[in-house]
Amino acid sequence: MLTYPQLSSGAITHFPVRKRRVTRTITNTTLDGRAIKLADPGAETTQWQLQYSALSDEELSMLQQFFSAAEGTLNTFLFLDPTDNLLAWSGQLDQAVWECAPFLSLSSDISDLAGGTAAWTLTNSSSAAQSIQQTLNAPAGYVYCFSAYARCNQPVTVTMLRGTDRFDRAVGPGWSRLVVSGASAPADSISFGLELPGNATIDVYGLQVEPQTFPSAYKPTQATTGVYADARLRDDLFSFTTTDVNRHSCAVNIIHANHL
Amino acid sequence: MATFPKLKTNAVAQYPAGKSLRYQNQTLRFLDGVEQRYRDSSSPLHRWEIRLSELDETEMAAINSFFSDNQGSFGSFVFTDPWDGQQYPNCSLDADSLEAQAVAELSLSTSVVIRENRQ
Repeated sequence: MLTYPQLSSGAITHFPVRKRRVTRTITNTTLDGRAIKLADPGAETTQWQLQYSALSDEELSMLQQFFSAAEGTLNTFLFLDPTDNLLAWSGQLDQAVWECAPFLSLSSDISDLAGGTAAWTLTNSSSAAQSIQQTLNAPAGYVYCFSAYARCNQPVTVTMLRGTDRFDRAVGPGWSRLVVSGASAPADSISFGLELPGNATIDVYGLQVEPQTFPSAYKPTQATTGVYADARLRDDLFSFTTTDVNRHSCAVNIIHANHL
Repeated sequence: MATFPKLKTNAVAQYPAGKSLRYQNQTLRFLDGVEQRYRDSSSPLHRWEIRLSELDETEMAAINSFFSDNQGSFGSFVFTDPWDGQQYPNCSLDADSLEAQAVAELSLSTSVVIRENRQ
């Protein structure tokens, strides 16, 4: 499937980014000022305006090739929202989207780094390694940054999983952010998760996957994630301005609608 | 009942914030120019303009989630007036759209308008 391209830095866009979500509510206002409302969840749309500046010739060419492949507004493509966390239910590890190994128990309402109680304790009661992971319907060959905050009473080494790749990270008594960044071998989907060694217990918070090289601030998610499978360009026109040698700027408008 | 999310500072709004009151009165004008007015509603309705800037991603995610939970202007929630602390139990978002702008990391802005519904 056609996928919106990343720049050479691994980022999808530059700042500023605008994101606009539009829902539809049918409202019947009565004479006395009361309103009878009906929601239309199928009509929701999401729009992004991505601004690019100081693009290289190669990056501009990549955007032009993508525009040609999408044929303007004609074809759909996969868009990974650069302003969002790609994981669903990032703060609800007991949701069905998370594949949890049988001997890994979860307990919630643990105090977190941000002063709340959104962290979870993961306890591996077996002597073998156990993991919790989530699969995204997104290309594995993309550059992703997978991050999570973790701490534990007894220092332990946990393994961060990205597709078939494994990365060991040390966890100590204070909160630290574990980060893995890069691309995996090409595939249509990719899994991200944490693997605990036998009989280990850790607290985790803020699991996040972003389509970029470095982690940004944690964005908790629910059912809606930053993966949009049927996005489209809003315009049939792609224009750019060349500001210097090997320097270009342009704006791209993307729209996603459930009903299109 | 849902409640409008607070920022990390525990505030609901930032400066500049707007608030308005709206009555619904009717006027009958007679041929001789005399007018007769009457109330067409039991009480005024409040409306708040909340402009937020320099938000971090977690605060913006909370507002986004609140927008989703309410399905835009469809849902109703409790809103605490930041001017006087009075709770208004039946309020809605005024619009079916929410726009966020990120000018840098940890520097997002958005605005929402909240209106009190007639009970």
